[in-house]
Amino acid sequence: MIAALHACARGPWRWAPGSVDLPAARGIGYLWPVPDFCARSERLPVLGLGVSTEYGASLAAGALDPAALRRARPDFGGFLEVGVEVARGLDAPARAWAAAGWPTTYHFLDINLDEPEDLDPAWLAGVRGCIELLRPAWLCGDAGLWHFGRRDRGQMLLLPPVLIAESVAPLAEGIRALREATGLEVLPENPPGSAFVGDLHLLEFFARVAEAADTGLLLDCAHLAMYQRLRGHAPLDGLDHLPWDRVIELHVAGGRERSDDGFQWVEDEHGVELLPDTWAIAEVALRRAGQLRAVVVECERNPLSAVLPLFTRVAAALPASFRPVPRDSLDGAHT
Amino acid sequence: MNPRALQQAIVRMMFDPAFAAAVHGRRALPGLAEDERALLRGVDRRAFATDRFRRARAVQALVEEYPVSAAAIGLAAVDAFLSAPEFHACVAGRGAMALAFATWLKDQASGVGLIEGAMARLRRVAVADAPVPADALLCGPHFAALIVPAGTLDWYEATLAWLGAAPLRRLADHGPRPGLPRRGLTRRQGEEYLLLEARADGGMDLGTASEALVRLLRHAEQPRPRRALEAEAVTRGAAAHEAAEVIDDLLADGLLVTR
Repeated sequence: MIAALHACARGPWRWAPGSVDLPAARGIGYLWPVPDFCARSERLPVLGLGVSTEYGASLAAGALDPAALRRARPDFGGFLEVGVEVARGLDAPARAWAAAGWPTTYHFLDINLDEPEDLDPAWLAGVRGCIELLRPAWLCGDAGLWHFGRRDRGQMLLLPPVLIAESVAPLAEGIRALREATGLEVLPENPPGSAFVGDLHLLEFFARVAEAADTGLLLDCAHLAMYQRLRGHAPLDGLDHLPWDRVIELHVAGGRERSDDGFQWVEDEHGVELLPDTWAIAEVALRRAGQLRAVVVECERNPLSAVLPLFTRVAAALPASFRPVPRDSLDGAHT
Repeated sequence: MNPRALQQAIVRMMFDPAFAAAVHGRRALPGLAEDERALLRGVDRRAFATDRFRRARAVQALVEEYPVSAAAIGLAAVDAFLSAPEFHACVAGRGAMALAFATWLKDQASGVGLIEGAMARLRRVAVADAPVPADALLCGPHFAALIVPAGTLDWYEATLAWLGAAPLRRLADHGPRPGLPRRGLTRRQGEEYLLLEARADGGMDLGTASEALVRLLRHAEQPRPRRALEAEAVTRGAAAHEAAEVIDDLLADGLLVTR
């Protein structure tokens, strides 16, 4: 990890691959020198505070209309993080948001990054089609198991990666491959879960992945809080593991404490009430993530009036370096 | 340690309480080394069972594709598939659950299992899985020719109507529907010949066809030289001078294709 920090400290235009050599198992490779993530991250825009959605989410009764949020509070709806399952495509509100020229990020919901077979040509073609419409600033998403077997009906789920050293290289290789295939940065996110298997701390694991893939990170504060509780850690344990200059995006969301048969865990509810653990992590992350570009409040199933207090709370904690949304990006014709 | 084997074991533990118990048991588990097993044992077993509806959702997905087969065998049997070796093979081999279910069904749902298994395959048509000789012909990728016990089509249609718009609820309320036609002990007890076509809009057309056509198309499930299919057409009743025209017509209709 110290090596990664030094690598980033050497300057913005270090024309060399990342610090870990990975086998070129897929025959995909850059034909030219590629700057390391520290240099590449300089070109990533500051999106500010934004909101997430996925197919059909904003159309449900009582759900948040992201465009209405942006109209009411442009500083809260700075960008839309669009959850994409290629088989479903993009819903009308996401298309309209993109057509208005408003900023987006692409959150994948259907790729097992550590399985080379999963980056098949048909799926990649679908991803490129969605990218063409959304023009996202980057790709991101939970770096876990999105489906068992092959990508098929009834086989979707989301499980965290197995937190062992052997999991790092396949995951990093998949991140590199997707980045090369799309030309966009790919930010792995720590997934939620009720069962975390492995002997590495979650943050140590993602630190290794970030270094091996030479990539940035998306830290989901609510997911991290789940992990910390399940493993008996304090909310802030292990935060020093993280290469904070690689943390580009944060997620915050409410969770629900559950108990069954004496076993306690937190459900990733995306509600508007943050657990204290999540907020404690978010406050530290907002202070330490010096290269932060985006913060998403995940609350897509709640009405506008219910989410405003949470946005207000998060906005008040944002670092001063976050620029407001430019006015000229608010003039789209979204209805 | 093999992270993929571990991840697959986690999936199985979440779907199959018996497998989760086996991980914590004493007997050796094929494909799982002791250090890998120790990692799994290091997590509270209850952590793998927090989603109480995971298995039910899988059953629902299967019933959506196999409603009539589920009516024939009942929901408890469908649920049992999730503990079967075929399901485990699907998890380990990047398989499709719906196709693994057809493998597991075997003859349990008789002809309706064949029909719905063929539908599941047609929904997942793969292009050019294996090299085919340039002069070979084979059954069109959007068609399936089926031989089922007599009465199957009627029972299939009647059961679809019986299931109504909410098959899962109907089955939960009423259990299996009796009367499934089964293959007789002799050919004289009857077979019927069906042709299934996947339409471009995602729907399916199912109807009867002649024995000759169905057997010819089944012969063409493996790539065959044109001469071999012409000979098969003659075996199935075409006049020798008509055989080439029969094959041309089937090619024109897409029932046979070159690849």
